[in-house]
Amino acid sequence: METSFAITGKGYVIVAADTTSARSIVKMKIDEDKIKTLSPHLLMAYSGEPGDTVQFAEYVERNIRLYQIRNLYPLRPSAAASWIRRALAESLRSRKPYSVNLLLGGYDTASHDPHLYWIDYLGTMTEVPFAAHGYGSYFALSLLDRYHNPEATIEEGLATLKRCIDEVAKRLVVSPGKYKVKIVDQDGIREVEL
Amino acid sequence: MNSFANRFSTNTTQLHSPEEDNFSDATWGSQAGFGNIAMGVPTFSIPDVADPTSFLQLHTDDHADPNCRIKIQHGTTTLAFRFQGGVIVAVDSRATAGSYVASGTVKKVIEINPYLLGTMAGGAADCQYWETYLGMHCRLHELRNRERISVSAASKYLSNLVYSYKGMGLSMGTMICGWDKTGPAVFYVDSDGTRLKGDLFSVGSGSTFAYGVLDQGYRWDLTDAEAQELGRRSIYAAGHRDAFSGNSCNLYHVKEDGWHFIGNYDISKLHYDGPGDVPGAPEGGYGYDIRVEGLSSANPPEAAASA
Amino acid sequence: MTQRPQQHSFNPYTENGGTILAIAGADFSVIAGDTRQSEGYSIQTRYAPKVFRLTDKAVLAVNGFAADGNMFVKKVRQRLEWYRHAHSKDMPIRAIARLIQTMLYARRFFPYYVYNILGGIEEDGTGAVYSFDPVGSYEREACRAAGAAQSLMQPFLDNQIYFKNQTPAPGTSFPQHLPLNTVLSLVIDSFTGATERHIEVGDSLEMYVVLARESPSIQALQNIVGIQERTSTADGERIFVIRRDLKKD
Repeated sequence: METSFAITGKGYVIVAADTTSARSIVKMKIDEDKIKTLSPHLLMAYSGEPGDTVQFAEYVERNIRLYQIRNLYPLRPSAAASWIRRALAESLRSRKPYSVNLLLGGYDTASHDPHLYWIDYLGTMTEVPFAAHGYGSYFALSLLDRYHNPEATIEEGLATLKRCIDEVAKRLVVSPGKYKVKIVDQDGIREVEL
Repeated sequence: MNSFANRFSTNTTQLHSPEEDNFSDATWGSQAGFGNIAMGVPTFSIPDVADPTSFLQLHTDDHADPNCRIKIQHGTTTLAFRFQGGVIVAVDSRATAGSYVASGTVKKVIEINPYLLGTMAGGAADCQYWETYLGMHCRLHELRNRERISVSAASKYLSNLVYSYKGMGLSMGTMICGWDKTGPAVFYVDSDGTRLKGDLFSVGSGSTFAYGVLDQGYRWDLTDAEAQELGRRSIYAAGHRDAFSGNSCNLYHVKEDGWHFIGNYDISKLHYDGPGDVPGAPEGGYGYDIRVEGLSSANPPEAAASA
Repeated sequence: MTQRPQQHSFNPYTENGGTILAIAGADFSVIAGDTRQSEGYSIQTRYAPKVFRLTDKAVLAVNGFAADGNMFVKKVRQRLEWYRHAHSKDMPIRAIARLIQTMLYARRFFPYYVYNILGGIEEDGTGAVYSFDPVGSYEREACRAAGAAQSLMQPFLDNQIYFKNQTPAPGTSFPQHLPLNTVLSLVIDSFTGATERHIEVGDSLEMYVVLARESPSIQALQNIVGIQERTSTADGERIFVIRRDLKKD
């Protein structure tokens, strides 16, 4: 089943999402990137109803870009999160809502701190130090309560993420195979191999 | 005196049944209740309907229908693991009926005898009754064979017993833990008839959260203090993340000389203050907010920080 | 005419409302219940006891489906009488508790729809309360409410008996056990409160008080109006019943 994690640390957010794209009992693709780069310091992991996910992510991507073109500066993470949540909430009240769950990680270059938002398809949003979506959350949240450190270095943060991934691999019946991992910090966005 | 007479009659017919309305002579004496164990597995009243199982489900299954009358306890976190120093057994103490916390002081570790423990998840009565019953058979085994029953044999006895009721609606997920000739042992037994030997199990609605902490901290060569701390910390994690688990943690340690009760720990107290003066425990509370108090993820550049 | 099998759903249960409550003290036990019996929104009777004296040291309160409850009490009493004939003494309360477990569990596949609370005096002279679920899981506790208004009464008792969410004044501590007069006041307040806020609770209140041998708590019962003694033997535990009116609307 689809699983995504995100962890904040000293000056960064790590976002990880599994790379399987499944239909019924079949894995259709095993290297799908489900983390979009919305702006130079903003990442969004998405999961949920096939079709809705990519459509909604691209809609968000274009609108965030449009804002940047019009105003010559990007939205800060909190503002982007509010806009995205509102887009989901309005969609929910439409004839055909998007069923998409999101993890939004960004680095605020003005205040120099990382931000992470957990958002579900109902438009529930909360800012958190760590987050997870999918069945993986049942294993990862207690683990992160125990091991997460807000001042961890990137190496330590990745080690904690590895614990989550290993735990899910160990215990979840239908555990995902591979994950894509991206980091956002003051230098922007980069992908890392675990 | 029917059973007495039957013993000497040539044409023996089974007249007694421990079932409620058909009492054996034992009922008159001190053997009332469980006392008639020696006469075989107890029998039960069954409603006179075509499908007794669906009858029971109609009236007792509060998963499917919250309005059904007879509420059976659900929601639990229990765990047990084997390590170098024996077996750690830790459980929460919450019983829920729907979303109502029916009790916060449930004893989910059943002390079968001084060297065997059973845990309780699923139907409280099913676990309590059958594990007590198991305890009596373990004693009979001792008397007959002049040695203690192995954990393996005890768990198999229970497993075969509940398997004979499969499909009737029993609900139990239990770990039978103890120390026998083979050393520390943990067996998982459930009402489906599954019986598994293993090093580490967690059962109940909060089990995933317990596993998250347990797996990451588990090693075979844990010290006694570290192992007890891991059990306690894992139940705390489940109590914190699973709404159906909580209130307090009961901790047991099984060693070569039998089980020892280590303590009862209030989950809220663990959150804010930790377990107190206990070997292996860190200072301060287990709670995330308590643990990371004063820490910040902000990363201002040097100049900005000093300004 | 051809005969066809007929599907017919078998429902031998109903819910008759009301609430029961028991509190254990150091050397006494109070077991109480209201006497209203209802089905749906109709009151069947204003006086149907739910609390029953079993022996001089044990009282059983039953709540849920009244017919099952009455039948169950009858059967427990029968078993206790047989025990008395066989052993020339009353069954100890912890044994009664285990007996009730096996009797309830014997009906695991056709349960009595009854929540039981057993109160009385243990062999060591301490006050005891045992509470049961319909299929026989049980536990000894200090205090327990069951039935329609349990979710109204239990939080109040948690606060007043276990002192949950209270901090003692500096230099003081909360008592382990409350005196009998305090417990009786709490029971009456619990029921008047539940009567105000729950439609299935009311009419009148019956409180059984079981005192340990030569218990000094007898002092608290001295000036209670309308108290009746229900003890059957001399120099043992003593049982009293106190009745109070509850609102009848």
